[in-house]
Amino acid sequence: MSNLDSPLERFRQRFIHNPLLHRRQLLKYGLAGLGLTTAGLAWQGLKPQPTAKIPPVAANSPTMGNSFSPMQTLRDFDYGTVKQENGRTVREFKLVAGNTTLQLNTAVSFNSWNFNGRVPAPTLRAKAGELIRVSFLNQGGHSHSVHFHGFHPAAMDGIKPIRNGRGTIYEFEAEPYGVHLYHCHVAPVTRHVGKGLYGMLIIDPPEPRPVADEMVLLMGGYDTNDDGKNELYAFNGVPDYYMMHPIEIYQHQLIRLYVLNMIEIDPAVTFHLHANMFDVYPTGMSLKPSHTSDVITMGTAERHILEFKFKYPGEFMFHPHQDGIAENGCMGAFKVISAT
Amino acid sequence: MKIKDYLTVAIVACVASVVISACNNTTKTTETSPNPTTPAAATAPTPEMSGMKHGGSKKININSAILSELDKLEAKLGIPALSNKIQAERPYKTPEELVSKKVIDQQQYDQIKDLVTIEDIVLTGVEKDADYMIKLGLMKGHLFVAKELLDLKQPKDAEPHIGHPVEEIYTDVADQLNERKVKEFKTNLIALEDLVKAGAKDMSKVTNNLKESQESIDLAIAALPETQRKDPKFVLQVINGLLETANSEYGASIADGKFKAAIEYQDSRGFIAYANMLYQGIAVSMEKDQPAAHKIIIDNLKQLTTAWPKTMPPATPVKTVAEVGALVRTIELNTQKVITVAAK
Repeated sequence: MSNLDSPLERFRQRFIHNPLLHRRQLLKYGLAGLGLTTAGLAWQGLKPQPTAKIPPVAANSPTMGNSFSPMQTLRDFDYGTVKQENGRTVREFKLVAGNTTLQLNTAVSFNSWNFNGRVPAPTLRAKAGELIRVSFLNQGGHSHSVHFHGFHPAAMDGIKPIRNGRGTIYEFEAEPYGVHLYHCHVAPVTRHVGKGLYGMLIIDPPEPRPVADEMVLLMGGYDTNDDGKNELYAFNGVPDYYMMHPIEIYQHQLIRLYVLNMIEIDPAVTFHLHANMFDVYPTGMSLKPSHTSDVITMGTAERHILEFKFKYPGEFMFHPHQDGIAENGCMGAFKVISAT
Repeated sequence: MKIKDYLTVAIVACVASVVISACNNTTKTTETSPNPTTPAAATAPTPEMSGMKHGGSKKININSAILSELDKLEAKLGIPALSNKIQAERPYKTPEELVSKKVIDQQQYDQIKDLVTIEDIVLTGVEKDADYMIKLGLMKGHLFVAKELLDLKQPKDAEPHIGHPVEEIYTDVADQLNERKVKEFKTNLIALEDLVKAGAKDMSKVTNNLKESQESIDLAIAALPETQRKDPKFVLQVINGLLETANSEYGASIADGKFKAAIEYQDSRGFIAYANMLYQGIAVSMEKDQPAAHKIIIDNLKQLTTAWPKTMPPATPVKTVAEVGALVRTIELNTQKVITVAAK
């Protein structure tokens, strides 16, 4: 099953002591993955929809020493608590700013500042036209805030610092549909974002997009010694995680990536996918792709929807083509499982 | 009492915020309703709007009220330690969550529902003053440690501590400074930050500017009535705000049992230093009127302070994050006794 000769596998061997154990755990907890598919169904509405083929994900997928697992972050969408108020749908979310230690690799631990104990923060998801209500509490020591991208009144812009121990409520209409983000806007923003206070906000179009295996990839940078330079980088919080634990997907299955570049300090990075081409939906704000490529440049805070299917089974990397950044943690791989 | 004055101010501020929020709403409906099935945005109350409805009647914001304010609910319902329970279950998306989160039962909720809110209300009275003083106290703490670092000839390390008062706090306190007719000092703080960012080449200029900034903060604090600034129950609330913040920042400075973020160590050092100075100011009356609480507070404060032996973090932490947390909680608990007793 595993090809020990492949360079990817050798790379992984540097980090994983017992890859077989990991695989066995995957099998053992395989059933848990079904839950995700059902949740996806409920979101699509009541009428029967074709479902995406998604390989099961272990409920206790590896955390590499952290309090959260990037394997869970990947397909974890927070739809909030739904309420009906005056005939409209309200989605309520809760964000608490706090501090936790991240294990970036076996040698480096990092004092992160984050929302809800994870980096990146929960992926909040709503449908265009709904009302989003976020209750925010700051327990982080420093003053923090939550600034959302998208349309909202000035009072909801989240640039006012909320001091330690205080809370506030942000409320606005979900618009426009697309891939957006939220982050702390207290200066120095570079440090507040770099410490981990950022997440994605997905606003779905009124009519759902075609069924796909959907996942989020947020690129982040870590200035681990406060020298104004990033030493490590990561997809979804933990450097090299998806190199050590490739993302399993099915051959021929439509994959929809919500990709955000949240790397501070470095002005821009690309996202490159091996052995494939993806359709680009800029800022997720269209239902038709603008073009097709295997590399796309994103400045800090830029984000897109990328869609593709893999023709061949096997392992395929993805990474920024600023190779130094990739090699310092911003690398991952898809493991394409044969459809037959 | 002065509370009446502040209420008047609060109502004025309230009216102002209604106007602003009404403007926002109009813009919102005209600018953004791409979806014809979406009812007018006005159906969704914004915090400011609903805050208005209650006008002058003072409600307690269960998301942000300080403990002594929550004690009014505790007193009304006669539930011991209710204030801490309310604080522990934050944040609340609706006041009814006091029931669904099992903080109190429905019957109890019905008794206090007219007193509580989750909306951004305009702070008034003692609560507003304490909030104001805590913010200025945090500024004092930042500049305290900035000065230490400048004296150690470490302008690069001092820079974030000069930045924090402007970036994290000033905007948050600007309205209150205006209201209290305190002279603007943001410009001076920014100038100081620029000087230090540029390498603090002219030290006499830096020293002067820092002194002016510190004096400005002192003047802002002096805008509070002297009786209040000397009242232990008021000062203890401010000390609690500083200690809580120091506690969180201390936690953010340590990983794997070592100091990893000197900035957060130093931030918390500054807050503890100022908390100590504030306590010295009330120590005599505390010793006289509250000898038992006084002894516990000074003992714990002394122990707590040992966690920050020098401006630069020690090689190994003197106290663990949990130890610092426990000391802060003990102090808070004992100050709470004084504050509650004094309130009765």
